[in-house]
Amino acid sequence: MSYSCALQKPILLQGHERSITQIKYNREGDLIFSVAKDTVANVWYSVNGERLGTYNGHTGALWCVDCDWDTKNVLTGSADNSCRLWDCETGKQLAMLNTSSAVRTCGFDFSGNIIMFSTDKQMGYQCFLNYFDLRDPQQIEDNQPYLTVPCAESKITSAVWGPLGEFVIAGHENGEINQFSAKSGEVLKKVKEHNKQINDIQTSVDLTMVITASKDCSSKLFDSTTLDHIKSFKTERPVNSAAISPIMDHVVMGGGQEAMEVTTTSTRIGKFEARFFHAAYEEEFGRVKGHFGPINCVAFHPDGKSYSSGGEDGYTRIHHFDPQYFDFELEA
Amino acid sequence: FQLLVEAGHFDSPPSVFYCLTSTTKLLGDLLREKPQEADGIDSVVVVDNVPQVGPERLEKLKNVIHKIFSKFGKITNEFYPTVDGPEGLTKGYIFLEYGAPTQALEAVKNADGYKLDKQHTFRVNVFTDFDKYMSISDEWETPEKQPFKDFGNMRHWMEDPDCRDQYSVIYESGERTAIFNNDAKDPIVSEERARWTETYVRWSPKGTYLATFHQRGIALWGGEKFKQIQRFSHQGVSLIDFSPCERYVVTFSPLMDTKEDPQAIIIWDILTGQKKRGFHCESSAHWPIFKWSHDGKFFARMTQDTLSIYETPSMGLLDKKSLKISGIKDFSWSPGDNIIAFWVPEDKDIPARVTLMQLPSRQEIRVRNLFNVVDCKLHWQRQGDYLCVKVDRTPKGTQGVVTNFEIFRMREKQVPVDVVEMKGDPESKTAFAWEPNGSKFAVLHGESPRINASFYHVKNNGKIELIKMFDKQQANSIFWSPQGQFMVLAGLRSMNGALAFVDTSDCTMMNMVEHYMASDVEWDPTGRYLVTSVSWWSHKVDNAYWLWTFQGRLLQKNNKDRFCQLLWRPRPATLLTQDSIKVIKKDLKKYSKIFEQKDRLSQSKASRELVDKRRSMMEDYRTYREAALQQHHEQKIARLQLRGGVDTDELDSNTDDWEEETIEFFINEEIIPLGE
Repeated sequence: MSYSCALQKPILLQGHERSITQIKYNREGDLIFSVAKDTVANVWYSVNGERLGTYNGHTGALWCVDCDWDTKNVLTGSADNSCRLWDCETGKQLAMLNTSSAVRTCGFDFSGNIIMFSTDKQMGYQCFLNYFDLRDPQQIEDNQPYLTVPCAESKITSAVWGPLGEFVIAGHENGEINQFSAKSGEVLKKVKEHNKQINDIQTSVDLTMVITASKDCSSKLFDSTTLDHIKSFKTERPVNSAAISPIMDHVVMGGGQEAMEVTTTSTRIGKFEARFFHAAYEEEFGRVKGHFGPINCVAFHPDGKSYSSGGEDGYTRIHHFDPQYFDFELEA
Repeated sequence: FQLLVEAGHFDSPPSVFYCLTSTTKLLGDLLREKPQEADGIDSVVVVDNVPQVGPERLEKLKNVIHKIFSKFGKITNEFYPTVDGPEGLTKGYIFLEYGAPTQALEAVKNADGYKLDKQHTFRVNVFTDFDKYMSISDEWETPEKQPFKDFGNMRHWMEDPDCRDQYSVIYESGERTAIFNNDAKDPIVSEERARWTETYVRWSPKGTYLATFHQRGIALWGGEKFKQIQRFSHQGVSLIDFSPCERYVVTFSPLMDTKEDPQAIIIWDILTGQKKRGFHCESSAHWPIFKWSHDGKFFARMTQDTLSIYETPSMGLLDKKSLKISGIKDFSWSPGDNIIAFWVPEDKDIPARVTLMQLPSRQEIRVRNLFNVVDCKLHWQRQGDYLCVKVDRTPKGTQGVVTNFEIFRMREKQVPVDVVEMKGDPESKTAFAWEPNGSKFAVLHGESPRINASFYHVKNNGKIELIKMFDKQQANSIFWSPQGQFMVLAGLRSMNGALAFVDTSDCTMMNMVEHYMASDVEWDPTGRYLVTSVSWWSHKVDNAYWLWTFQGRLLQKNNKDRFCQLLWRPRPATLLTQDSIKVIKKDLKKYSKIFEQKDRLSQSKASRELVDKRRSMMEDYRTYREAALQQHHEQKIARLQLRGGVDTDELDSNTDDWEEETIEFFINEEIIPLGE
């Protein structure tokens, strides 16, 4: 490892009182959304860290957030057993879809017309993957998804839409990855390359690839359509989140252990690091310190010139890369 | 039987009848009393090597014999055969009869080998044994030939052309054990097995065997392919120890002890696999219970007020008795000679003392009195050139504990002793370690965070010089290189893995580094490399072992899932003489050139390999990306449709959509006091 990412001073987003569970940029990258266990969903200007606003309403920890391609609507999922739709600009709650158990993952499809979200296996209810078509207001009014897919075996822990809204790629607690058709709900493809829980799945900006982050201390790159396993990135800590650079052959990973398992490791100030791997060589080439606890979520800015990380410490840090980052090359 | 015809008249049948009956009865009794050859012989012992005496001294001899042999039971009969009639000398062997065969056996067990005087050592046997040995068949049956088990070259690992040392690694919390060859670039797997051991492993002192633990006993493995050389059955074995010569292995199991058959500790002959002797064991708290002399000729253990020294290969007590040393607290063999050092605490008016005893003569070659002693620890220098006794004392009139080091110079006449006093806080802890192959020692003393590391040199002129003291060290352990000169001060576990590499030739700090939460430090046998590791047994995350050069330059970080233990394979003693080593050192420059060239070649080969690997990985990746992008391109129309004709493929695909905004950036904060 011969490059230590020397970055400009990061922008610190302080707006949450508990650990961050997910962060997301909108398609153009000018906004960044953060949700946390403190029931709060915030949106910020990514360029200077100024907070634009808060989406108020949830009464439980938030697990997920997504924004549609046009930055019109925002979707959030929570442990208060609801998935809510918001107007991005005004913050007004547009719809509330009640569920029987916590909403773990949610997202808009490519067109922005269909939303999916998964519910946890708890309180006697099993895990379900739900699809709503926003063009049919009746579905929202009646809280009737047009398709509900049960997942009896292993619950869904993270999911993203495929490139053209035809299927959802879901990661499960047992390390499996399944493609669920958005039309029929059947499993189109499945693979099992990880042997422990998938903590996060993210797509590349062109949606051709997905990257998984797993408790088995590795992250893997797959083709979104074929689910072919392309690359593996190994660490010695459980990986909570991973993202693919939009412009370089790089991936970033963040991890650590759950708060309960952390004992003495975390007493070292700022020890938790985001790790950068070369996507083709599978070699780690850089690390960025700064978080006071495990990193729960990472995301690249759509222009690839910066990235953000949300941590167990409740902070979101936006890092802009310095020129060295773009010039750095491993000998080949 | 006899018919007493004469008794009585022909016409008095009753008499005859009576006679017959009584004769029969009498005969029956007589028959029963008839001495059978077997009767009483089981209780008879034969004693050989008895002094031959004339009738005038016979009484005295009998008294002496009686005194010795009546200990085992009542002597009911005795026979002292003489030469040429009762006036001659006794033959030199005697017969003694006991009341019961068990007593005879006791006599054999205890009196056999009894040394009466310089010329007479009794040999005692049960009489029936003579019969047994006499009736051995004259026909000699050739014992069955055992096929020769060829394990190959047991020193195979020493022949590695690149002189790589081996080490064992246990990981996956004990599920996997692997043997690696240590290459500076990357470890090379030599052997890897699942469930090779059930708990941990141990190398024998010269590196020939790898011992693994199992419920039923231990197994020894060796040779090029690590074949199983030997198995020792000892149910529930938990601890083992090897003799330094690798001839014997000692196993301990808490399960196996019975009063009649001591089985807690068993000593085995490694080559034959035979059980040599079993011992009782009260507590395994201070393993090894038996301490071996450096040459494997003796082993000893300490029990209450007793030091028992045994010799090999007989496994019997040296001189047939243990040493009574009242109050003995600790003992230790010199690693260079057959000398034992032990100490006893104060006893009423007699001060505490340290004694050096030569074996097998048991001559006390040095005794040193110590006053107001609280505790002592014995530290031998690796070659046995020096002994350090760390003495904790409470001087008269004070409350605190003061530490002294009493340095015994073993190679000098009459073993002079020099004392080094540790000044400073009396309540602080100390650590001590000798330099192997040298005459320096290092001491850690003080209370965290003010721990000092002091280096001393034991000079030939009778002085012990303090060379250097480093203060405020994060260290709780001292690790010398096995070759001497270099060492590491380590702050393990609670001190977060701070490491300081020191060159003691001029006492410079070469490097101060860290392996966070390191729990163990292991030097390789040559002193070129050091391994620090975080064991899963002590810390549940970041389990890995790191390889450093002796100067503290980090070479490798090896993460291993639930890494538990790393042990270097020891090397046997060098075959080079001191003189040939001197010659090689003189020509070192010549050898350096050859090795440097070799290193450069392998470096560039590794770089080339890495570069080639990367190149091919990139090619594969590019190929994949091209195909994926091709498909992406083909889906463009579908994408446009899904987004109502808006092209979002690039960030700048829709510049007409862009708005101009003015944003504020926080630059600086300045507090300007307003005017009075």
